[in-house]
Amino acid sequence: MPGAELALPLAALAMLLLRALGLLVAGALRPDHPLIAWAAAVSQATLAAFVALAVVAPGGAVAGIPLAARLVGLAGGLLAFAALRGRLLPALALGLVALLAVRALLQ
Amino acid sequence: MTGLHALRPGATAALGAPALAMGATFLAFGAAVAAAGLGLGWALGASLFVYGMAGQLVLLQAGAAGVVPAALGATAANARFLPMALALAPWLGRGRRRWLALPFIAITPWAAAMRVLPHLAEPRRLPWFLGFALVSWGVAGLATAIGHWAAPSLSPLVLAALLFTNPLYFALLLAADLRLEGPRRAILAGVLAAPAALLLPPAWGLLTAGLLGGTLAFLIGRRHARR
Repeated sequence: MPGAELALPLAALAMLLLRALGLLVAGALRPDHPLIAWAAAVSQATLAAFVALAVVAPGGAVAGIPLAARLVGLAGGLLAFAALRGRLLPALALGLVALLAVRALLQ
Repeated sequence: MTGLHALRPGATAALGAPALAMGATFLAFGAAVAAAGLGLGWALGASLFVYGMAGQLVLLQAGAAGVVPAALGATAANARFLPMALALAPWLGRGRRRWLALPFIAITPWAAAMRVLPHLAEPRRLPWFLGFALVSWGVAGLATAIGHWAAPSLSPLVLAALLFTNPLYFALLLAADLRLEGPRRAILAGVLAAPAALLLPPAWGLLTAGLLGGTLAFLIGRRHARR
């Protein structure tokens, strides 16, 4: 796949430029500057959209898991996270267990 | 001046849930690269130098479509690096040494840093970020290599569970942020804008949803502040 071989260094360079532009522009600004507040809101909204899409309309191997199992996995993780007062590792594990359990039930 | 020991608090914070969530995704990526017939060098190059999963996946899937569409698609998919670097930069100090953070600005270190850095004294912020970032970067490379090597023995179900770990991890981080008014607005707007992504090609969809939702949340927040 020669396309992938060449596209990789190009994409890596573009990523470096995106990051550098952010550091360059924002290095002179204070955290409460409107541009920074806007950038933080866009970043957070992007992350939230990423999570929503990855659960409701995923691609690749995750698409092979039924929607119900994905939703229960998410809900299980969130409930465990709340019940365990914000402990990430056990909440992650319980979410995955819930996902796999519902998938096994639906099979 | 800061020595290696100054990196330790951030490095320790990166081990545990962040390393697990990140490692699982990069392991699945390594396996996907092997399944596509590309070598370990390519897999490591994508993981360490593109270092943003959405862009890496576009690069892998669009590689056959041609050099320019693949590179452009990957860049669009990872365009969040620009607003993320913008939001993060003021917390990394004004000195030239903040450029050390450059290659490591990616979702996982960014999300952790935005939660922790504002509560640290200024001289401790950059070392914390670098410690966290170096561990995350190392985990990403190692997991990619393991995934590439173990690809033939990973079932689709195992791959799916590995890939699901990452969005689940970010869902938990976002849930913790729902307590704060500004982030809560941005998160809800992002979820509401997510369907817009389904109407566009995958590389552009996420960028559009984030811009739409984030800008809306920002404008509403400004309006509230003025009252």
